[in-house]
Amino acid sequence: MFPRLIMESFLRQRRRKLLAALAILLGTTAVTAMLAIGTSVGDKMNRELAAYGANIVVYPAADTLDVQVDGINIRPATAGSYLKEADLVKIKNIFWRNNITDISPELPLTVTVRTANATQQVPATGYWFHHALRSGDASWTMGAPALHPWWKLQGSWPSSGGNAIPNEIAVGSDLARQLHLHLGDTLEVQNQPERVAGIVSTGDATDHTLLVPLALAQAWMGRPGVVRRVYVSALTKPEDALARKDPDKLSPKMHDRWYCSPYANSIAYQIEETLPHTRAEQIRRIAQGESTILSRISGLMLLVALAALLAAALAVAASMTTAIVERRQEIGLMRALGATRNTIAGLFFTEITLLALGGGLLGYLLGSLLAGRIGEQVFGSSIAFNPMLLPATLLLAVVVSLAGSAPSVWQAMKMEPATILREDA
Amino acid sequence: MKHERRGQGLSLPMLLRRSLLHRRSRTLAELVSLTVSAAVATALLTLYASLDLKLHHQFRAFGANIVITSQNAGQPLPPDALAIALQAAGPDSRVVPFAYAIAQMQDGSSIVVAGTDLTGARATDSWWQVSHWPENNQATPVQVLTGVRAAKALGAERFSLTYNGKSVPLQTAGTVRTGDAEDSRIYLPLDAFESWTGVTPTTLEVQAAGSTRQIQAVLERLRLALPGSNVQAVHQLVEAEANVVSRTRSLMLSSLVLILLTVAICVLATLTASVLERRRDFAVMKALGATQRHVGLLFLLEAFVLAMVGLLCGYVLGCGIAYLIGEWNFHTAIFPVWRIAPQVALLNLLVAVLAAAIPLRILRHLEPATLLRGE
Repeated sequence: MFPRLIMESFLRQRRRKLLAALAILLGTTAVTAMLAIGTSVGDKMNRELAAYGANIVVYPAADTLDVQVDGINIRPATAGSYLKEADLVKIKNIFWRNNITDISPELPLTVTVRTANATQQVPATGYWFHHALRSGDASWTMGAPALHPWWKLQGSWPSSGGNAIPNEIAVGSDLARQLHLHLGDTLEVQNQPERVAGIVSTGDATDHTLLVPLALAQAWMGRPGVVRRVYVSALTKPEDALARKDPDKLSPKMHDRWYCSPYANSIAYQIEETLPHTRAEQIRRIAQGESTILSRISGLMLLVALAALLAAALAVAASMTTAIVERRQEIGLMRALGATRNTIAGLFFTEITLLALGGGLLGYLLGSLLAGRIGEQVFGSSIAFNPMLLPATLLLAVVVSLAGSAPSVWQAMKMEPATILREDA
Repeated sequence: MKHERRGQGLSLPMLLRRSLLHRRSRTLAELVSLTVSAAVATALLTLYASLDLKLHHQFRAFGANIVITSQNAGQPLPPDALAIALQAAGPDSRVVPFAYAIAQMQDGSSIVVAGTDLTGARATDSWWQVSHWPENNQATPVQVLTGVRAAKALGAERFSLTYNGKSVPLQTAGTVRTGDAEDSRIYLPLDAFESWTGVTPTTLEVQAAGSTRQIQAVLERLRLALPGSNVQAVHQLVEAEANVVSRTRSLMLSSLVLILLTVAICVLATLTASVLERRRDFAVMKALGATQRHVGLLFLLEAFVLAMVGLLCGYVLGCGIAYLIGEWNFHTAIFPVWRIAPQVALLNLLVAVLAAAIPLRILRHLEPATLLRGE
């Protein structure tokens, strides 16, 4: 009897059901989309913020002080110690390896440049440009251009030359102007002819330097396989109170939590673990700034999602109230025919739950699709379906629909059946 | 005819009042929906309108976005450059001078010493992790801020450094950690630095406030005011900032449209149902001689009154929500933006009037007798 009553109700009152279902559908669509965006915006923005450059620097623990003014290091090339280029792939093997988006080693030195009319000392830096980093079956392309998306290149990046010593370089724009160099020109560096493959404009001190393949810088220096420092770009979580703790003073449980959170500090700590005799540190200007921006934007979107949730809940509840008020007569008729209050409540609430589940499921699908579209529009990459949101959305739809309709159902049942039936007759 | 018209005029407000008060629970449900739609619209539009300002403010965490150096790298700037830059950059911007020299430690190795306005650096470079800022400018030995790596290399809190054969005693007041070049340097107050080394500032770091366009304007003004110097925007900051702000804006906009549309349709559905449900009232009124226009007027007026009340409550509520979100998320208040009020009002009135007009159109062609007899 009971299932048949419900089926009949769905078959016969399509318009009324449609209204309530529409409200639930729209509400859950908006809420799912907003929650999907709110929970994934941190990740998406993190990738945007990677444009700020590296947030972690790695250098030898025994290194001497940097003597760096205006972005140019004037420490004698012989001083200090080095990292091994071959070790760098280990950075891709730490716990948070998938959060490491770029690794860029640097080897600064001073070289003698001879052009047609002058000989002069010029700062140069060895970089990876598009270096293929391999570990087992995996391979990544890493280097300075990816780390510095604001560098403007004319021409192409120097080729790394395969196994031979490369003979192409790039020149900073200010230096190129000063030396009257153009693309394709050849100049003599350390008594070797080098072709200018690219001219780079960076807006900072790098404009006054030569940018050369790492292997070439190592050859000039006579120290194959060394790098001075490594810049790492990692996707990190905004810093909170736990992130600032000293990991060695935490309890084992807290230490695990610290270690397994992608803070800039814990990623730096893991790099130090895999590369002995190194110091890895967060570059606070970038890491702290990113952390501020990231927490503000994710916070904003979550609060907006919360506001959307509240609004959708109230709108759905109001729709449910109206839908039930419309059906007061039905309640009166049932009571007049002898149905108990429990039967009526059971009937109505089952109906509403079914409606909420159906609308919620459809709303979840639509909302996820919508979030994906918005993600593509705004970030150029889709937002994946989040299965965690489905139970939350369904629960919410059921609770809100029941809460919205319950007062009207109770009120209708409290009234005398005769009053209700007479009221509109 | 005359008599009837006067009767209508007198009874309309009364009719309206009775009609609203009589069905209290339904009126309340309608009012709640209209309030919610106005509140959500107000809160989101207010947030959207203040978003740029708040976000750009957050980006100041990255420090200086314009750097002024001399045309020839390493040469000092003209002595009046700081005063000119301060004036050209405007009152909202901060300008911090930096002068560098390479001094010798007692073991003969080199160390970079920098002279700066420590108060200015403290305000712009919020990411500096400083154990204690030097406070007393007049103390001897001079109180300095030492980079963590420099402190390790120096070993002691009191030390002396030599520049050009001139040795001065210094004392570390606190250490600074940034993970960058600053860690290997020693920072002195600018006047103490100048009287020791005789070197004047080579770099001015400018933190210009405001949007990308405002920063560009400051950049242009500085270039005009200091023609002999190299004025450059810090590309990475300015570009990434513009990028992130524009993406956040479009994200906010799509959320705004989505939410407003949802709420508006839900409210529309609620109100439409509520009016449709009253087709019996409609029929009775028509059977008693009211014209289509009178009935329509009554329904529309009802919708209008509800929309206005909902608008008032919703606007106040929405401003409150925006203010709270500002406090929680940006730690600064977001104040009501008056220019969005017409948009919110338009949205609410549109929804309410549509909700009254659609059912009226449906009911228009029905005969009262058909309606009163049953479905």
